[in-house]
Amino acid sequence: MSDDAAGRSFSKAEIAGQGERTFWGRLANWPLYRGFTAFLTASPRRQFVILAIFPLIWVLTQHLGPMLQMLRVSLTDAYPVAPGTEQHFTLQNYTRFFGDRIFWQPFFRTLIFAGVFTFCTLILTYPVAYFLARHVSRKNQVLMLLLLLIPFWVGEVVRTYAIMILLGNTGAVNMVLKWIGLIDRPIPFMYTSFSMGVGIVYLTALYMLLPLYSALEKLPKSYNEAAADLGAGAWTRFRRVTLPLTLEGISSGCTLVFLISTGFYATPVLLGGPSTTVFAETIAGFFHVAGDQWPTGAAFATIMFAAALVLTGIFQKLMNSLRKGDTK
Amino acid sequence: MNRGNRILLSCVYWAFVLYVFVPLVLMIMMGFKDSKFIGFPIRSWTLDWYAGVFANTEVLATFGYSVAIAVLSTLISVAVGTWIAVLLEGRKFFGRAALFGLTILPALVPGIISAIAFRIYARMLGIEPGMGAIIWAHAVHNVPFVVLVVSARLSTMPKSQIEAARDLGADPIVAFLRITLPYLVPAILGASIFCLLLSFDDFVRSFFLGGYKPTLPVLIFAKLKSGMSPEINAIATVALVLTAAIGLWAERFTRRMNKES
Amino acid sequence: MTKLILNRRNFIGTAAMSGAALASPVYLRRAHAAGGEVNIWTYNEFVPTAFKEQFEAETGIKVNVRLVDDQGKQFNLLAAEAPNPSVDIMTVAGHRFLQFIDSDLLTPLDTDRLKNWGAINPTFSESDWATINGHKWGAPILSGMEVLSYNTELVTPEEAETWDTLFSDKYKGQTAYVIQDMMSIVMLKMGYDGNMVAYMDDPAKAAEIVEEVKQYLIEKKPLVRKYYDGGAEVQQMFVNQDIALAQSWNGPAAALINDGFPLAMSIPKEGSYGFVYTFNIANNAPNLDNAYTFLDAILASPEIGASMTKASGFISTYKGASEYLSDIEKKSTSFPEEQLANLQFFRAEANDMKYKLIDPAVEAIKAS
Repeated sequence: MSDDAAGRSFSKAEIAGQGERTFWGRLANWPLYRGFTAFLTASPRRQFVILAIFPLIWVLTQHLGPMLQMLRVSLTDAYPVAPGTEQHFTLQNYTRFFGDRIFWQPFFRTLIFAGVFTFCTLILTYPVAYFLARHVSRKNQVLMLLLLLIPFWVGEVVRTYAIMILLGNTGAVNMVLKWIGLIDRPIPFMYTSFSMGVGIVYLTALYMLLPLYSALEKLPKSYNEAAADLGAGAWTRFRRVTLPLTLEGISSGCTLVFLISTGFYATPVLLGGPSTTVFAETIAGFFHVAGDQWPTGAAFATIMFAAALVLTGIFQKLMNSLRKGDTK
Repeated sequence: MNRGNRILLSCVYWAFVLYVFVPLVLMIMMGFKDSKFIGFPIRSWTLDWYAGVFANTEVLATFGYSVAIAVLSTLISVAVGTWIAVLLEGRKFFGRAALFGLTILPALVPGIISAIAFRIYARMLGIEPGMGAIIWAHAVHNVPFVVLVVSARLSTMPKSQIEAARDLGADPIVAFLRITLPYLVPAILGASIFCLLLSFDDFVRSFFLGGYKPTLPVLIFAKLKSGMSPEINAIATVALVLTAAIGLWAERFTRRMNKES
Repeated sequence: MTKLILNRRNFIGTAAMSGAALASPVYLRRAHAAGGEVNIWTYNEFVPTAFKEQFEAETGIKVNVRLVDDQGKQFNLLAAEAPNPSVDIMTVAGHRFLQFIDSDLLTPLDTDRLKNWGAINPTFSESDWATINGHKWGAPILSGMEVLSYNTELVTPEEAETWDTLFSDKYKGQTAYVIQDMMSIVMLKMGYDGNMVAYMDDPAKAAEIVEEVKQYLIEKKPLVRKYYDGGAEVQQMFVNQDIALAQSWNGPAAALINDGFPLAMSIPKEGSYGFVYTFNIANNAPNLDNAYTFLDAILASPEIGASMTKASGFISTYKGASEYLSDIEKKSTSFPEEQLANLQFFRAEANDMKYKLIDPAVEAIKAS
């Protein structure tokens, strides 16, 4: 996973392909291609339009389309429409959320859980990524990283049940503790915030690990050495050099993990306890019961989405200003 | 580097390895349990569950189906996601923030909502449920992850390189293909792993958009209905080994391709 | 005629898409082209493999089974496909009929077309819940009930005679239940009608009762280990000894008993509710005739009923099915007469009102 392009120097012929023999050279000199690129890049404006047109169409039809459908459903009083009845526009599904406190708790709990789990995942995986990127030889890095990826290929549900037989009263952990003689009676790990955390960090670690690793991996070792030469201690070096330069990785990892965490359903349902209901569970409830609950489910999903979007936006702004503050 | 630090960090790494592998080992072990339910204590062992997986062509076919869906949807997601990332990164234009918001939209929608939204939308577009519909839904859902990963890498790319290339007479397309793309390779590989994983593990979208042929998670959910049997563990283990084999082969294959070219 | 055109259109769409993707599902093409098929949504192993193969060989009708794992998802999927479903036969729990019927997703069952209708035990086929709006809506295949399951090494049969044990301090942190189901049971325990049919004309009374039950469950919340959803969860909790007793369906509990786990079930003296899984025909089913052929065939022999019981743990609705069960299977699917006397069926008539009250109550209990 090293980046050759970054460190390589290019000769003029190599880049522009003026050496006739290479593929690029032939391509660059091919009249049809020249005409094509000339057309595309006639002006920066045209270049931009051509670059932007496809993403715009994709995002509008593929990303926005399904959501607009959902939004439409959230503003109706019945969906799917029962035969012989009419569908009406209503804001009731939204007011229902704001009007009833019982929905607020799972809502804020989800946001808080997502934040806490994101933070835990960061704290847990940063040293792992750091170790991999800084203390392991290049050759072994990929191998050891791949080693960590293996367990993530087991489906969420199967892995969740594996965690149950790990943490259950007759589970592996309690068995070992008993065998050592530390406990007489099993410790009830399961169906608590703890078991839920164990399961969720499992799900999110990968999404944190990879961005962190790629940020740390491209950080030149010389920076740290230079800082050490100037007399900076290990902690100072980390705080003043490594951390600021890996903020980008931290930011994208945290964003990913936070977004994914707000949508978790199966793991909290299976590993959580009576008092750990998350909002996705509340939403799913509206789709599992009577048919006329779809609009409410859709409205609640929209609210969750808006909240997650706002929080992510604030977080990204914060990270950006942190980064800027450091380069000044 | 400080020796103490190094030892401490390696302990953390191996503790992490332990954490992620213990459930895995338990899962594989339970596939050998001679009972219809997983869990301790294990009174007797059997090979029947594993033998059953290979005897049952449905499971292997389902695995192949899931892999095909994962690979095809990943190809689409990576292509589209990289394109969007290139557009968004380092450019200022009207509506950039809105476009970014729209881009990450699919990642924000909870699974069940997104699945039903896709299902309704598919009907509106006239897409029949089945493999094509699943690939489509997975591809759309995974684009945001590609954009986030690729953007992160793109933002660290020294502008000077592209400028140098342009100064040397390369047109934007050649500059992109020869400078930007190679620089992005690690991010694209990482994003592909995300996408493959997300697709391979997805249940809700596959369920709502699938036809009569189940993907692996759909099959596992259906089997779970009659209990968490060691059979499911055996299926998951076999799937894991096969995926690892495909991964290794793909890695070898690309390495050989690179050497030849 | 319209149906034929529709099928043709479906066929072209599917074929084009499969052509684009590399691994095309062969059966889809064949099925749509020939019309000799029947499409079924059902739970894992509800259609025995041996029966399926025999049926296909004898009739030439291809059976396409799509496995579902949840009534709600099945409803959503069907609602999303309506009014032109891809399915002929679904597996609906009897007390959810009304939701499907109200949304126009089912077609009434013409029992005259099923010569084996009489093979079903009349307790199920002629029961009052089975007839809605003057029609029969499904063929009963398996019956289930809410039971008190308990680990026999930890709980005595005497303790299991009452639902109160589930809320006793003695088993603090060792119990689990499905909260929606428990609401109905607690109503029954308090002497009310858990189906709420009795309060259809008195919504204020209904709301009052739900409020009382809600307060009771909130008060007892510190005692419960887990509000669960699925059968596999409660099985795992028993195996891991995370719980000693639970409210559960008889099917998952029977499966544990058959596997040799020290578990037993009881229908407590305060009473409990039963439900029936039925095969239903979808409104506007694409292969209506084949659907009837299939239903008639699957009802043909008690042996088929017995093999469904073996796989699921639920009790077969077929006359004489238990003769094909082993001793332990018989034991795990039968209850003493005096306990069965406490059982009544879930009814759907008041569901609209009931769930409008219960769903927010469930949220409130979880949030408390």
